[in-house]
Amino acid sequence: MTDSDSSLPASFDIRDYLRTDLFPHFMCVGCGHGIALRCLLTAVHELGISKDELAVVSGIGCSGRIAAYIDANTLHVTHGRPLTFASGLKLARPDLTVVVVTGDGDCLSIGGNHLIHACRRNLDITCLMLNNEVYGMTGGQVSPTTDEGRYTTTTPLGNHEPSFDACSIATAAGASLVGREITFQAPALKNLIVEAISHPGFGFVEVISDCTEIYGRRNDLGSSTEMILSQKSGMRPESYGGALDQPFRPGNWQTGVLSRSDREEYAAAYRRRTRSARPEEQT
Amino acid sequence: MASDSSSGERQNLQGNVACALGAIAAGCRFYAGYPITPSSEIAEQMAARLPKVDGVFVQMEDEIASIGAILGASVGGVKSMTATSGPGFSLMQEGLGYASQAEIPCVIIDVMRGGPSTGMPTRPSQGDVMQARWGSHGDRPVIALAPASVGEVFEQMLRAFNLSETLRTPVVVLIDEAIAHLSETIDLSSSMPTPLASRKVATGDVAGFLPYAATDDGVPAMQCPGDGYRSHMTGLTHGEDGFPTQDPATVERVMRQLLGKLDRNMEQIECFETLECDDVDVLVVAYGITARAARRAVVSARERGLRAGLLRPITLWPFPERRFRELASSANTVLIPEMNAGQLCVELERLCPHPGPVVRLNRIDGECISPRQILEQIEKLHAHD
Amino acid sequence: MSASSRLSDRAIAPQATPTNVLVVGVGGQGVVMVSRVLAKLCERNGLDIKQSEVHGMAKRGGVVFSHVRFGERVYSPTIPEGEADIVLAMEWAEGLRWLPFLKRESGGLIADTQRIVPPFSCRNRKRGALHGYQTMGLEELEEVVARVVAVDATGVASEVGNRRAANTVLLGVLSSMLDFDPSEWREVVAEVVPPKTIEANLLGFERGREWALQETRAELPTPPEPERPTHAADRVELEIVEAWCKGCDICVKVCPERCLELNGSQVAVLRDPAACSGCRVCEWLCPDLAIHVRILPAQEEH
Repeated sequence: MTDSDSSLPASFDIRDYLRTDLFPHFMCVGCGHGIALRCLLTAVHELGISKDELAVVSGIGCSGRIAAYIDANTLHVTHGRPLTFASGLKLARPDLTVVVVTGDGDCLSIGGNHLIHACRRNLDITCLMLNNEVYGMTGGQVSPTTDEGRYTTTTPLGNHEPSFDACSIATAAGASLVGREITFQAPALKNLIVEAISHPGFGFVEVISDCTEIYGRRNDLGSSTEMILSQKSGMRPESYGGALDQPFRPGNWQTGVLSRSDREEYAAAYRRRTRSARPEEQT
Repeated sequence: MASDSSSGERQNLQGNVACALGAIAAGCRFYAGYPITPSSEIAEQMAARLPKVDGVFVQMEDEIASIGAILGASVGGVKSMTATSGPGFSLMQEGLGYASQAEIPCVIIDVMRGGPSTGMPTRPSQGDVMQARWGSHGDRPVIALAPASVGEVFEQMLRAFNLSETLRTPVVVLIDEAIAHLSETIDLSSSMPTPLASRKVATGDVAGFLPYAATDDGVPAMQCPGDGYRSHMTGLTHGEDGFPTQDPATVERVMRQLLGKLDRNMEQIECFETLECDDVDVLVVAYGITARAARRAVVSARERGLRAGLLRPITLWPFPERRFRELASSANTVLIPEMNAGQLCVELERLCPHPGPVVRLNRIDGECISPRQILEQIEKLHAHD
Repeated sequence: MSASSRLSDRAIAPQATPTNVLVVGVGGQGVVMVSRVLAKLCERNGLDIKQSEVHGMAKRGGVVFSHVRFGERVYSPTIPEGEADIVLAMEWAEGLRWLPFLKRESGGLIADTQRIVPPFSCRNRKRGALHGYQTMGLEELEEVVARVVAVDATGVASEVGNRRAANTVLLGVLSSMLDFDPSEWREVVAEVVPPKTIEANLLGFERGREWALQETRAELPTPPEPERPTHAADRVELEIVEAWCKGCDICVKVCPERCLELNGSQVAVLRDPAACSGCRVCEWLCPDLAIHVRILPAQEEH
């Protein structure tokens, strides 16, 4: 056993939180996921969470590879299932800070059922969904968040399906903190992650990220810089009004904390309900 | 050890209840599952009993989530299990593969019912034997246990957790619906011969720690979040350091270690029972509820002067090959009664040392094979000699 | 501290050539109000007046100035450089900025000693960097300006109970230098200021006028010290891990100082270390986590 505080550096250098021998990371040129990784680790540092107390669970896809780069307890699990592993881990080990890193396909498509039930249970887990609107790892197929009309390898004539608004789903399913931020607003994203991790309950954060090499090229969205700058023009820092009436993404991104409730956290509710059965609490 | 089971008392228990009691006695403190006939009593029992021992029960949204949750809990250092039946077991194959690859201890109960698909939810079957062996993709170490009585369900739950913990691998307990819903009077205290085992815990320097380093018994020591090792776990093929690799030499080395760990520990894994096997003409091989019929048939056959014997594998996978070969080499015929269209018999045909006849006796109508059916078959085989 | 020149003994009378008063300050101080007082005074005295102002920065803190020209006949609405008789500055540095407009031989500067650092003076974003605020003190001023009245108008206004009456304190000073009837000044001030503040403003006006007309003024307010940074400039270290950089060019494009570039190997390099302010934009937005910015606190000087 090591002193849990020993892993918390006094002055912040992100490399103290990285498995630097795995760098450079495997993500493409200009991929927004690296920015999200920085924001997550900066938030962890700011909250004073030691690396030993941090567990990062990720699924499959480009987002899933993030976990391996973090010098913490990392679990890279099967496609769509990180929320299930994280639920078991958090219930078994309430002392850990459990963060799930997932993607739009991982979280909303193959893992959609797990997402809505994780939101409903409201375990004290933070779920970071990196939304790049495409299946990047498998070569650029359409995803549940691909905008209508976009070209992917499986929508060669343009996407004819409407896209999901992940935050509306999470709110409707009962996540007690839901927010969205663009990677371009990195410090704001960091602050949102700080808020989600601090929040006692299920925190869902949608990160608007960029797939530059696969999605960007095919749709002629410009250079890495142009893509990240264009996030800004798609952002609408407004309140959440009306979004629930419109389950599909309204074409612009409302950012910041979009909904919040003080619903009882799952483990607390479980302990309260089962108190009479517990040996140490029987008198 | 915390347990609410009334040790030392004779109790009349249903197989599924004994399963839950055995799990808690084995130290299981986390259960995640999804309701499915005929396994649901296990979940109900765990939901009521786990809070009493400071454990956690959670009903998940499906079987995929259930196995995910128990793997997460096990990574957290807590002995964990789930229970299901055929359709749910199919969904769990993905998680089972992950548990094998990442070497996460866990116990999965499959209460077998008639299949395929939704099949006959309330009728007994032994149709998941090959799914337990080959259900998940790729090559992986597989342990499956097949108890044949309520008392043995309790005992085998202890063994299942012990094997799972010491070998860092998922252990499947195949219970047929007949055993699951059978009530028998058992003595729990006399059913507790096995000392409880826990996983080997990583010690030593944090720097340079290799979570999948080779060891003498082929089982790497396991780290636990919070103990300072901060290792990485993945379903990707990984080197000793836990990180993905496609280097052929490394992959060959770690895969051989993964697949070899059962061979290295066969003494504690292998478990079978023999009856009247000293001089055998007809060797009956049977497991689960069918073995009880086979036992009665063999006893009856001996009473009639027929040289029949019974090999009852309790650990079904890996199959007790050596003992089977020995017995089969002296027998004229091998009779394999199964409540499926013929699954374990394929393995026996492969293992048989001589091209002697392996005779199948199958039933797929949702009814148990009776002693009389087996006895008739033994008599018929003797008549052919 | 030295006594400033006396202005009151040579008040400027309306002449054929217009009298030029340049009123300068920052948004919210009442530059426009001063202009309106002058306009009304001229109306009462049958004088032609032209006024042109810039008050686009209506919010507090933006630069505001007003050219006021009056006389028997005024043609051009703006005051050419070197032609202002009086610069009335409601903020110290604003007064200094407009010095070139004063008449070299006779121009007088009336300046409030309060300082408001405007945003544009912070062009250098390094923490601890000297900002662009004018640093000239009173003694230096007296060498280049014929007459200087430096008055702590805000302080005087506070004494009469309303900090915002600083502009009428300055009007009081101005009244001592222009040949209008004091009672007219008072009437016009009362017309122009909000009704609830008439009393405080008239009091402020009197105090400013009295202060300017005193034979020997007791204590001059402390002029502002030349601006010094609160601490030495931070040292910025920007490290780019060459092996991690994939050359996406984001840092180069988002850097507000334009101090990064891609080298021949498509790796980001710091082209102009001196220009780097340590704002961390490149660090935050580097997808490869290749940029590491360290702000090293400057060594204390001994």
